[in-house]
Amino acid sequence: MTDLSFSEIQEYLHRHDRSELPGLTISVLRNVVVEPLEPYLEYLACRMGFNAEVSFGSYDNVFQEAVGGDGGLLGPETDAVLVFLKLEGLSWDLARNFNALSGEQVRAEAARLEEHFSRVLSGIRGQTGAMVLWHGLELPAYPAGGILDSREGEGQSAAVAGLNEFLKKSLRSAGNCYLVDLNLCRLRVGDKDFYDWRYWHIGRAPYSREALREIAGEDFRFIRPLKGRNKKCLVLDCDNTLWGGVVGEDGLGGIVLGRTYPGSAYYEFQQEALELYHRGVILALCSRNDEENVWEVFRSHPDMVLRREHIAAARIAWQDKATGLRQLARDLNIGLDSMVFMDDSEFEVEFVRETLPEVTAIHLPADKAVENREILAACGLFDTLSLSEEDRKRGAMYQAEAQRKKLRTQAADLLNYLKSLEMVLTLSFADELTVPRIAQLTQKTNQFNLTTRRYTEEEIRNLAQSGRADVFCLRLSDRFGDSGIIGVGILRYDSGRALIDEFLLSCRVLGRGVEDAFIIRTLKIALGRGCRSATGEYIPTARNGQVKDFYEKHGFAALEEARGRKAKSFSYDLGQGVGSEPAFFKEITSERIPDNG
Amino acid sequence: MDDLRARVVKIVGRVMDLPAELLDEKSSMDDVESWDSLRHMNLVMALEEEFGLSFTDEEIVEMLSVEIILETLKSRR
Repeated sequence: MTDLSFSEIQEYLHRHDRSELPGLTISVLRNVVVEPLEPYLEYLACRMGFNAEVSFGSYDNVFQEAVGGDGGLLGPETDAVLVFLKLEGLSWDLARNFNALSGEQVRAEAARLEEHFSRVLSGIRGQTGAMVLWHGLELPAYPAGGILDSREGEGQSAAVAGLNEFLKKSLRSAGNCYLVDLNLCRLRVGDKDFYDWRYWHIGRAPYSREALREIAGEDFRFIRPLKGRNKKCLVLDCDNTLWGGVVGEDGLGGIVLGRTYPGSAYYEFQQEALELYHRGVILALCSRNDEENVWEVFRSHPDMVLRREHIAAARIAWQDKATGLRQLARDLNIGLDSMVFMDDSEFEVEFVRETLPEVTAIHLPADKAVENREILAACGLFDTLSLSEEDRKRGAMYQAEAQRKKLRTQAADLLNYLKSLEMVLTLSFADELTVPRIAQLTQKTNQFNLTTRRYTEEEIRNLAQSGRADVFCLRLSDRFGDSGIIGVGILRYDSGRALIDEFLLSCRVLGRGVEDAFIIRTLKIALGRGCRSATGEYIPTARNGQVKDFYEKHGFAALEEARGRKAKSFSYDLGQGVGSEPAFFKEITSERIPDNG
Repeated sequence: MDDLRARVVKIVGRVMDLPAELLDEKSSMDDVESWDSLRHMNLVMALEEEFGLSFTDEEIVEMLSVEIILETLKSRR
């Protein structure tokens, strides 16, 4: 996460005025002393553009704060609750006196802790819907049973692991709650450096600074996507990043890339990038090179892990990297702030940091290529809170988009082009399968989004079942592949009037007439519900300017607004009919309107 | 030796949020209000980083004034 020392982080925080940044409220419930976590949390929040306000519950007072609501730590404004319940403080017997217990006593003690965990968790949930990050139990490095501990069915390691499994299950079903695996942090830091036993004895503060830094970093893997600040695209340089050497000079046979040293460093780096690709991270290239030389390596080098089809977009030209990155952002229709750029040249990295501070630029020192894989795996910037089918297929979808663009240049005019795509639209109403993706789209769609109302899965489910609203989504597929769910609409009904509460489309599918068909289908639903008119709203944000005229373009009439109100409303008289959909779609189908609406 | 004193006072000031001018060798946990047990942890950490050493637990609980910190550091040289 960061190489800065504790003092350097404190200096950084002194230097940066954070008072103007949006707040990030973090509450810590704990039975150990973890206060030195605060500067790391503040530092990471600041790097993300937030001002962290961290409050600590009293030492070993978790139950009272969670269940009794003592201390005013939890509330609707809380963003994240960090829970540190260390086994030593919960059950000395399980942690340190394990061999004195009978199997039955172990089970009874575990059951007591499970009960305790459940009550603390529901106590927290009763007070706040905030993200809960529960730091799991640490497995014993030296289990009580010694080498036989894992041979016996009921050893200490198994007991602790069982409690972690229980936590995982409970947290999953509570929603917006996650287990932070401290054992991963221990692996990375190394057990000897993870604990500071001096302070464990002096002040019940078990974790070293290094450990706390790693823990804070792990917490932010969750907090970043919570705030929509996770990165979506990895932009890679080619020479001395994807392979060693310079392809333009050394030639296809001269570059360093293979299963064995020294090419293995680059081979493993590429493999790690491919792992990210399969998690839905978009891969792109930005290189100073002759384009044909680079693609020749992709095509012909036997040890290339990455293939051209993994690369969503590339800017390979004799130009500076900032220009290339700007072009890539346009090609992919994503923000610069969702890009991570990696390059072996310190000059390029510094230049990008200077000119495009929104991009996270990471330097891969050329003389330490063996560490590149670790740097990529450790950066922790791409994590998402869920992985939808759409995420897994994202790379393929961007690749398909690139093919569409190519076809577009071939197709004589736009209408022919759109027709040649053979687009199929399917509108369906929210159900258990589609709710997660619907909520996800309301949370992350910024550009084609008329109202930018953010909904959780829970809220979507409630709305869909309220009997006073319809929640529906739109799927798109074409001859190049399935784009999955790309649109969401919500209609709320009020005495013969339909209010379009939410109307959004993923930016991937814009410019293909999908919005024209979608609004007509939306009005048809309102008509099917017996409404006489529909009202659309446009609530301006920094990023949805492109849709400000959307309703007027589609036959809605602007309504008079109260002075000073930023939102604009538009009305559509359903008595005039709903118009017809564009003719270039191959097929458009709508699910029958559910009865209970 | 004054150099050592200046370095220590600077660190104490930074950790305790006080201007270094307000601190001298007599400054201690008893008379510096912000010097509580948590700040003491931060102070020990900052000193360990600055001087590249690791104190024992006994040293940590003893070194509650600038004077004792200086003595402890000198004994380690």
